[in-house]
Amino acid sequence: MTYDEPRYMPGGDRYMLIEFGNEMNLELNFLAQGLAGAIAAQRVTGVVETAPCFASLLVHYEPEDISFADLKAELARLIASLGPSDDIELPSRLFYFPTVYCDPWTRAAIEDYTAKINPEKEYDPAFVARLNGLSGPEQLVRVHSGTEYWVAALGFWPGLPFMMALDPRCVITAPKYNPPRTWTPQGTVGMGGASTAIYPVATPGGYQIFARIPVPIWDPKQRFREFKDSICLFRPGDRVKFVPVSVAEFEDVERQVADGSYEYNVVGYQKFSVAHYKSWVASLDRNKRF
Amino acid sequence: MIEVLKPGLETSVQDFPGRIGYWNQGFPPSGPMDSWSFRLANILVGNAPGAAGLEAQYIGPTLRFQRDTVIALTGADMGAKLDHAPVPLWRSVAVRAGQVLTMGAAKIGTRGYLAVAGGIATEPWLGSRSTFHQAGVGGMDGSALKIGHVIPVAAGAGIAGREVKHSARPPIRTDRRWDVEVCAGPNDDWIDAAGQARFLSADWKLSAKSNRTGFRLDGPEWTFAEKATNKPPEHGSLPSNIIDHGYPLGAINLAGQTPIILVNDGPSMGGFINPYTVPSAVFWKLGQSKPGEIYNFRQISVEDAQTMVRQRKAVCSEASIL
Amino acid sequence: MATEVRTQTAGNMWKVLVKPGDAVKAGETLFVMEVMKMEVAHEAPADGAVTAVHVAEGAEGLDADQLVVEIG
Repeated sequence: MTYDEPRYMPGGDRYMLIEFGNEMNLELNFLAQGLAGAIAAQRVTGVVETAPCFASLLVHYEPEDISFADLKAELARLIASLGPSDDIELPSRLFYFPTVYCDPWTRAAIEDYTAKINPEKEYDPAFVARLNGLSGPEQLVRVHSGTEYWVAALGFWPGLPFMMALDPRCVITAPKYNPPRTWTPQGTVGMGGASTAIYPVATPGGYQIFARIPVPIWDPKQRFREFKDSICLFRPGDRVKFVPVSVAEFEDVERQVADGSYEYNVVGYQKFSVAHYKSWVASLDRNKRF
Repeated sequence: MIEVLKPGLETSVQDFPGRIGYWNQGFPPSGPMDSWSFRLANILVGNAPGAAGLEAQYIGPTLRFQRDTVIALTGADMGAKLDHAPVPLWRSVAVRAGQVLTMGAAKIGTRGYLAVAGGIATEPWLGSRSTFHQAGVGGMDGSALKIGHVIPVAAGAGIAGREVKHSARPPIRTDRRWDVEVCAGPNDDWIDAAGQARFLSADWKLSAKSNRTGFRLDGPEWTFAEKATNKPPEHGSLPSNIIDHGYPLGAINLAGQTPIILVNDGPSMGGFINPYTVPSAVFWKLGQSKPGEIYNFRQISVEDAQTMVRQRKAVCSEASIL
Repeated sequence: MATEVRTQTAGNMWKVLVKPGDAVKAGETLFVMEVMKMEVAHEAPADGAVTAVHVAEGAEGLDADQLVVEIG
């Protein structure tokens, strides 16, 4: 549910957490990102930085410049002045990533987990397909790759994107591993709850995994121009489209990445309109699947 | 300029306030855990309080200085010696080219700080020299000190023989207990009244599974308010699960039943609640405490926590030098 | 003359691998401490026989320079 009024909670001497609601829905993330954008545009006194998450916004402020109470009042005024969330428009880059679904590398990670930690673990693509009433891994690929994903938040690990399916016909969910895996290949695409993530480096993890991309989303050496301002590719509000390709194509892209010739496929001229998005969603039959 | 002969347990370049402005990409601020000791070390050698220096943890490094300079050691007593002669803490000390500083195991406190006149001059990364070694960024090529590293230092003329007033030094306890101030929130309303009272009255023991990513505590069970169990299923199945949200620095993050204080290199967001937050002026206590020691938490207001920061800033200045 | 092996750091005693009477060789790991999620192994400085072990596995809150093992 979306709260009638956002909730403002203190986090120690210099953080404020603003909650817009208590469920995973895109609307709440649009509110969080819309407020983050407005705070930056208005240069609100005393705000050092903000970090949007699914249904909330963390604000880091400088207490020497503004008190918690004054900041709360200022942000409440700003939210009121923004008008309905439908009016929110955000610049939004769109990334196309070549993606191998049901790939050999995540299969190896799953088999390692089954051998060493939990022999009962069902192969993730089959498991996720079954839980969501899909006919099998092939339909999982059509459904998962059939939508753009909205980058709702970055974090837990630097540059790790948490994404939500924009097309309601492609929404699926997946429980997390219990206990978690001790390793996940870099570039793995996985799901936990209703969010899709890409692992920027090889880390432990608990998401169900079923695909892999050869394109770095994390580049400490900043070899590619998309990383000129940071070593992380994404910002909140970016979108991602996973394009199913073969292992041969994956390996070809890997070579291009290694020799520095890879050209990122980024669409950089679009603005995401919440109003247009909502009217498009309303026109769809949410019960259909690809 | 400073050659690393032995790295110590985990020693790194840090600056204060650390790497700010990248929380929304998942970068923590890093920086020194005990910024009280850190800033005073810099002031002793004539640096700006936030200049880059070294943080040594538990076992300090052995370093050879390649040119004459002035240094200061603050924080934990690591039995430091300069060419076999004991080096006093809380004082600026002249060093001659070729001298070797040996820092051993921390006897009082756990984190020792070394400032060098001019400040450490590694390449800043995203606006800071602080090391975040899990991601390989900042400091010496993104890692803690290694044998053979040569740490660059900017030119600077410090003055030896300066000393911090006793009253201006952090009172590192030696009785194995710490009173740790906390602010309620963001999610204190997820804990029932009995659970809140239990948290504030219990002994919480610091686990050895604690480092700059998080400080894990052992103690009694948490009990939850209704909103922790009566919530939409996408929050997750445990009472302490919540839809992923941003984590304030210093949040006491409740992973299941285990509280983990998120400190300087901690995660920026996740799916567990944060019923209380350790304010920034209290981090030095975390930074100087050892496994097995006991924390007793005491609730203070946000305003009082902010006053502590203001007072600390006044202490971390020339006014504290004798 | 007895050789003392002391803790190199504050921390917890994760593993004690010897007991009184055991023969040990120089370089052999006698005990492993845990601090900051890191293991700090402590080796025998010389060949000998363990004459005393003063700290049990699982002990918490040890200081640096605490006597753990004596080798005769």
